[in-house]
Amino acid sequence: MKSHFEHVLDMKWGDLDRSIFSDPQTFELELERIFARCWLLLGHESMLPKPNDFFTTYMGRDPVIVTRKADGTIGCFLNMCRHRGNRVCRADAGNARAFSCPFHGWTFGNDGRLSNVPGYKEIYLEKLDLEAHGLVPVARIDSYKGLLFATFDANAPSLLEFLGDMAWYLDMMLDRREGGIEFLPGTHKWLVHTNWKFPVDNFIGDSYHGPVSHKSAWVSGFEGMPRRKSGYGYEGFQVNPGGGHGFGVRWAENRDQVFEMALPEFLDYEKERLEESISRLGDLRGLHFSPMHASIFPNVSLLWQGGAIRVWHPKGPKLTEAWGWCFVDKAAPEAYKREKALHMLQRHGTSGTWEADDVDNWVQCHSASEGYVARRYPQNLEMGLGDEIDDPHAIHPDIRGRLGKFQSEINQRAFYQRWAEMMDDPSVPAVPDMSRRDACKVSS
Amino acid sequence: MSASPQLNLDLWFRVQAFLVREARLKDDHQLTEWLALFSDDLRYWMPVITNRIGRDLGKEISAFGEVAHFDDDKTSLTNRVKRLQTGMAWAETPPSRTRHLLGNVEIMAVEPDGVLQVRSNYLMYRSHLEYDHELFSGYRMDHLRPHGDAWLICRRDIILDQSVVTQKNLGIFF
Repeated sequence: MKSHFEHVLDMKWGDLDRSIFSDPQTFELELERIFARCWLLLGHESMLPKPNDFFTTYMGRDPVIVTRKADGTIGCFLNMCRHRGNRVCRADAGNARAFSCPFHGWTFGNDGRLSNVPGYKEIYLEKLDLEAHGLVPVARIDSYKGLLFATFDANAPSLLEFLGDMAWYLDMMLDRREGGIEFLPGTHKWLVHTNWKFPVDNFIGDSYHGPVSHKSAWVSGFEGMPRRKSGYGYEGFQVNPGGGHGFGVRWAENRDQVFEMALPEFLDYEKERLEESISRLGDLRGLHFSPMHASIFPNVSLLWQGGAIRVWHPKGPKLTEAWGWCFVDKAAPEAYKREKALHMLQRHGTSGTWEADDVDNWVQCHSASEGYVARRYPQNLEMGLGDEIDDPHAIHPDIRGRLGKFQSEINQRAFYQRWAEMMDDPSVPAVPDMSRRDACKVSS
Repeated sequence: MSASPQLNLDLWFRVQAFLVREARLKDDHQLTEWLALFSDDLRYWMPVITNRIGRDLGKEISAFGEVAHFDDDKTSLTNRVKRLQTGMAWAETPPSRTRHLLGNVEIMAVEPDGVLQVRSNYLMYRSHLEYDHELFSGYRMDHLRPHGDAWLICRRDIILDQSVVTQKNLGIFF
């Protein structure tokens, strides 16, 4: 396809072409150039505690099985029998050494190898190449401090390169306490009739919508974090570490302000953990930055203090399947974990008093993209354009990346620019050529 | 009273009438009156369903304490109602039109303190704005504590049959 996506975002005015949300061809190209090339979040290692544990998820529109193999390593394979394409695993999670296709009985070990074919001798006369018909593995799988990612692109950069400085900032989530984090059991899954980019856009940098969208929840007992008083120095920042990732933080001058921002039910825990976090992460990441919201390119979002992490699975230009988990410090007391789960599910996720209001916003913004005339009018992303912080190091010498004011659309603009770059650049092979048999053999 | 509460027609009829009224209050958006039917020590819980096979079939319903769809006490359920009544709960402004249908009502047990364990199936149709609509199905296990000449609901466990919620939110009550 001819390269043209560089023009969807006009950086002079901050105008964004609405058709990228509704155009079916754009969606199909995203599956190739975004989802078949990027590192995508599978889940967390804590979801596979024992050998032979597995769960199923999606990478883009492709269904995959994630397995803890007998040797303890983690594998990830297309959930697709190599015979007719039937799903070999119909469970969301469980424990299994092998997956047997319900259609004709081809059986695959949880390392992907085709281990049994009914009638291999009598019907196939032992000619079927078993090694070439294993489950299709992802090109690479890796973990960053427990967060599991995989990519279908053998030429993709390493996960650490892909995350770039976002990994360093993700330590505020993953490494602020000894032992890191875990996902609490229980996954929210629900369908949203919107394009996957709307929620990513919302989480990556929209600190503007809160006082309007979420006022009803805030005043009804579902207060969020952080609470703010006046006299805090900086209001906060939108931080752009590059790579299409981004997040927003509140700023705290000192320990007292960290505690003032905590909800009463979490205050004791904030006091318990803060010194450890500062000593592990230093004062920028451990003290001054109170991270709020983030998106990891392309389709992961999180709410730091809300304990919510999401994958936005693309199902079509107008359909997204949201998956959400609650994450907590592994070292936290059980009572805190329970409180955090309640905090999360009463605000975010399927019945969330905050998220419900977000979802309808995204649904209706998407609907606007479908009108022939409405589509000719761009979205406005000019907030903070030309108004970046000139010298982030004057604020703190450790800051990495670009910095916008707390109310700035710097992160949304960077997300769409990264998206356009990847959409326009087909030079890197997206996926190995699956027509070649040697490309899909399971490596030992 | 006949030997078995399950076969006590008068009791069954009164329970059925109580639950039908409770459903009507939701459909008519009389949520303050609806809240008054719940005890202060309420547990209002809707677990998450996952697709399981073989020996894991018993794990289809998430355990209490894990991340659930709803996990409310009287305070948080009251706050959910308060939110809807602010006029600024945009996802329910205008509110969904719901129709709660109830059937297969069975009194499963009577506890020594008189609390009834009542199981029922529900179908709930929801229409919102122009085109958003969904049929929710499942069953509930209610614990009804005698209160005056009726009951207070002190525990409501709600099973929603869907593993992936096919609606944009669960911003309505079950």
